[in-house]
Amino acid sequence: MKGTTWHRLAVVGSVLTIAVFGLLLGDLVWQGLPQVSLGFLWKTPSELSSLGGIGPELLNTLVMVGAASAITIPLGLAAAILRIEYGARPGFLLVFDRMRYTLLSLPTVVVGLMIYEWVIAGMRWPLSVGSGIIALAVVNWPFIVDVSVAALSGVPDSFREASLALGATKYLTLLRVVLPSALSALVSGVGMAIARLMGESAVLIFTAGINVSRHWGWSAPGETLAVHLWYLRTESVAPHADAQAAATGVVLLLLVGLVLYLTQKLAHWLKPMDT
Amino acid sequence: MTLGGYRVDNEAPHINVTHLSVAYRDQRILKDVSMTVPGGRVLAVIGPSGCGKSTLLRVFNRLVDRVSGVHIKGQVQVGNFEVIGDHVDLVELRQKVGMVFQHPNPFPFSVFDNVAYGPRLQGVKNSNRLRLLVENSLKQASLWDEVRGKLRRPASSLSGGQQQRLCIARALAVSPQVLLMDEPTSALDPLSTAKIEELVLALKGRYTVILVTHNLQQAARVSDFTAFFREGHLVELGPTKEVFTTPRRSATEEFLTGRYE
Repeated sequence: MKGTTWHRLAVVGSVLTIAVFGLLLGDLVWQGLPQVSLGFLWKTPSELSSLGGIGPELLNTLVMVGAASAITIPLGLAAAILRIEYGARPGFLLVFDRMRYTLLSLPTVVVGLMIYEWVIAGMRWPLSVGSGIIALAVVNWPFIVDVSVAALSGVPDSFREASLALGATKYLTLLRVVLPSALSALVSGVGMAIARLMGESAVLIFTAGINVSRHWGWSAPGETLAVHLWYLRTESVAPHADAQAAATGVVLLLLVGLVLYLTQKLAHWLKPMDT
Repeated sequence: MTLGGYRVDNEAPHINVTHLSVAYRDQRILKDVSMTVPGGRVLAVIGPSGCGKSTLLRVFNRLVDRVSGVHIKGQVQVGNFEVIGDHVDLVELRQKVGMVFQHPNPFPFSVFDNVAYGPRLQGVKNSNRLRLLVENSLKQASLWDEVRGKLRRPASSLSGGQQQRLCIARALAVSPQVLLMDEPTSALDPLSTAKIEELVLALKGRYTVILVTHNLQQAARVSDFTAFFREGHLVELGPTKEVFTTPRRSATEEFLTGRYE
């Protein structure tokens, strides 16, 4: 009796969640999708009567998230390898894990403030795409470490033992057994980190600024889709702000979906032969 | 310690252990163990849980080094090769001394890639040579007839017993001289166990085999010599028949008759 009651509660909860989520998403897509066209993806935003576009924002998002990931994936993986494969000293592990958890739980708006202090106020970098990349990298780094640590600890220790017992060095064991076995989990984790980074806005407002013009430089300010969305819903006086925001939201959502879909596909393809 | 009239085989090396003590931090696991295993013979190591059997095995290929805070004292020689010391070439040692673990642990690769792993580490790239090595190793492990034509299948698609024989083939592929087996049948059904035991008998002569086992009948069936350990001490080592029928120590007799756990 008790079991069925709980079961019913769970079903009601699930249906409610799906309904609310579907309603929100449906509303956004309903409003936004008709505005999305190739022209919208290419043109610069407009505060005038025309709808304009999100060309620079799309480009900035891809460049900044791409560059920040390119910096943090090797660094994060290296730190995780140090932690899981070579970190035998208990003291080191304690310090490492504390730092990891602290960085993970730091609000990104605080990270933005820190980067502003160091990079822009301290090192006199301009408010720019470059500073934004550094900021995104700092936000992303602990997440990459986290997913890498999870992926590496998911590799059974018996694989390492078997490899060492066959005369492999620690390095070759890492290269030929541990990394191939962890690759699938790594790719899917990294995909989630990238998707999360695409929605990041707080850290970029202080560091990359809000600039809607099209440019290709590191040292000029530029906004991402998420920052643009924030701007549209807070500052913009454009007559089409609602439609622009909905359409931007849909594009961001599609982009995140695409990243997740592709990385999951790749992860599935890279899956080791044990399932 | 006398070992009866057994001839020492020349190809497979004998193993000499002199005053071996092993401790993890302040916990002593093995206490002043001295023994000789003649080449090409099968030594069964028996004793209650926690008596140091597995640690002894992991000293022979120095896998015991993975445990932090481990201290080893004494001497171990495999043939003329010194096992204990700071400057031992562990890669060379582990190519000489292969190991099979308690639970079958094939890599998440194909059957072929599992067996070819060791030879590839040693730099064998020629695909014909690799194929030959893999075939030979699988034949030696009596698995060839069951997996021929399926070498590209995942190792995980094999049954537990087949996986364990695959792990034996993988160990044999690097042409070791000594084979360490850490309770290799404890996770297997009786039929698979029988196959592994047959295999051990077939490997006798070509390899020096040290078999840690909880299964006393298994020790009696496959081994030439039996060593009984208790609380880190080597209590008794002798020809299996003698140890099982006329043990010299009362502790051995108590263990064999189930009066000591």
